[in-house]
Amino acid sequence: MTPVTKRRTDFSRDWTKHLFILFFILIELFPLYMMFQVSFKDNATFIRQPWLPTNPLTWHWENWSFAFHLILPYIANTVFVAVTGTVCSLFLAILGAYFFARHKLPGSRLLWAAFLALMLMPGVVNITPLFMLLKSLKLLNTLWALVLVGIAGGQVFSIFVLRNFIEDLPRDLFEAAEMDGASHLQQVFNVVIPMSGPIIGTLAILSFLGMWNDFLLPLIVLRDKELFTLGVGLIYLDGEYVKQWGQIMAAYFVASIPLIVVFLFTMRLFVRGLSAGAIKG
Amino acid sequence: MAAPLSRQKLLREWKLYLFVVPSLVMVLVFAYFPAASAVYHSFFEWAGGDTKQLIGLDNFRRAFHDQVLLDSFLTVSVLIVFNLFKMLPSILLAVLIHRLKSDRWQYVYRVLLVVPMIVPGLVTLFIWKFFFDPNLGVLNGILDFTGLKGVLVSVDHFFHWGIFYANVPIGWLSQPELILPSLFLWGFPWIGAVGVLIFLAGLQSIGQDVYEAAELDGIGPIGKFIYIELPLILTQVRLMLVLLIVATLGGYGLQLQLLNEYGGPGGRGMVPGLWMYNRAFYAGEFGYACAIGMILFLFILVLTFVNNRYVRIEK
Repeated sequence: MTPVTKRRTDFSRDWTKHLFILFFILIELFPLYMMFQVSFKDNATFIRQPWLPTNPLTWHWENWSFAFHLILPYIANTVFVAVTGTVCSLFLAILGAYFFARHKLPGSRLLWAAFLALMLMPGVVNITPLFMLLKSLKLLNTLWALVLVGIAGGQVFSIFVLRNFIEDLPRDLFEAAEMDGASHLQQVFNVVIPMSGPIIGTLAILSFLGMWNDFLLPLIVLRDKELFTLGVGLIYLDGEYVKQWGQIMAAYFVASIPLIVVFLFTMRLFVRGLSAGAIKG
Repeated sequence: MAAPLSRQKLLREWKLYLFVVPSLVMVLVFAYFPAASAVYHSFFEWAGGDTKQLIGLDNFRRAFHDQVLLDSFLTVSVLIVFNLFKMLPSILLAVLIHRLKSDRWQYVYRVLLVVPMIVPGLVTLFIWKFFFDPNLGVLNGILDFTGLKGVLVSVDHFFHWGIFYANVPIGWLSQPELILPSLFLWGFPWIGAVGVLIFLAGLQSIGQDVYEAAELDGIGPIGKFIYIELPLILTQVRLMLVLLIVATLGGYGLQLQLLNEYGGPGGRGMVPGLWMYNRAFYAGEFGYACAIGMILFLFILVLTFVNNRYVRIEK
């Protein structure tokens, strides 16, 4: 039996399952379809024909140019927050995890307990005093507030995962590096980081997604329109009185584009990382 | 575990402490300090400024008689039950995908599942808000188109609910009685990509030979689920359960954006987290908000402990 015919028989034997799965996935993708096709309509067209796409020749591209002008500054702000936050957060977490994984210095158990206890503490409950803290640090209405809180919020989980990972790395590697006179920082850069690429990638994606999607903190921290991140920008767009659905949907689409790009480049990490991270957790 | 270090080694390795200091400082300033501040300020009447007045347990006494807060705990319990139910499609889908014989298709479906994740969560939320729109919304459109609206109206007529009328568009987010049903419907068919991938990871340890053996013994599809698949994903189900309950109990972003800061018409969608947010940022009662946060925190803490003690699943 050639591979092609084998695949075909697999499909025909499992067709009921395929049907079920496709049904679920199609409904799951339906909002994306609506977002896409409505983004090319003005309100009148949309009311006449809400379901099907219109003729591409009559598409309202001005919805998209409106969306780009509106959303691009928000995207720039969000990229700044999410990228700076993710890079700093992971770098600190790697250093912290190295401390816990490599040597049991006096007090490390106590510090470990201090980190783990935070896992029990739900972040949302802290939002009131966090706001007052940012206010007294004069960080209100700055993007740095979001970066700093993002870095702090990512520490516990990342250190937890990375510590287990670093402990599983072969001891000989570290000993060989020590023989060569490598300092701890050099060991982090030359042993830990090259050896833990995939796990760092997965943690980076999770942290990036978390900061990208956050809107509760930006909503109370940011006041100036120039500083808005995507979340706050979209909320203000939603609050407009007269709604041009085509423009709004185009804006939603533009807001998703950066993640589409990230997704294209890291699809394997996305799919595999999420599954693998789940087993550890 | 490494043996306790000698004095000499400690003197040589002290620099290593510097590695943990940055993380520690961040966590102390942005997690421990606010938490301590929340505990401290829950005993004060505090409008967020420099003046505050120690009022002892008054905030907590007020909380126990605050009808909005008491109702909000009821609402959040209902939402937790909803969300437990909403886990089922993800489990079903994971099992279906896992049972496919072709690895290639399994991968294709995994990728398709992750695709909706590229849309920011907030956008998904707003698209659903748009679906719920009474005049233009997709939901009413589908109900009209399929004739389900007529069924709803006649059921309403039979039970005298007074919610659905033949010629009036259904206001999913504007009729108080429909707020909870809307919060249930939201996100249909409730496939969480992360959840499905986590369950799939758990199922991965079942080889095809196990299925073949089960088929020889004449075990049907449902039997396979109960005897083979469910036991293997119990750990993952439990993990998702805990994450879900904690997230629902403390969450309020959904209610804030789908409804408003008062939990929608009649406050039917008010949850404790939203009431805390409302008191702090709309009423300026920061002290009281801290007290609500404390109560919420205690609930979550107790649930986590109960879970760790009694819901542990033997591997």
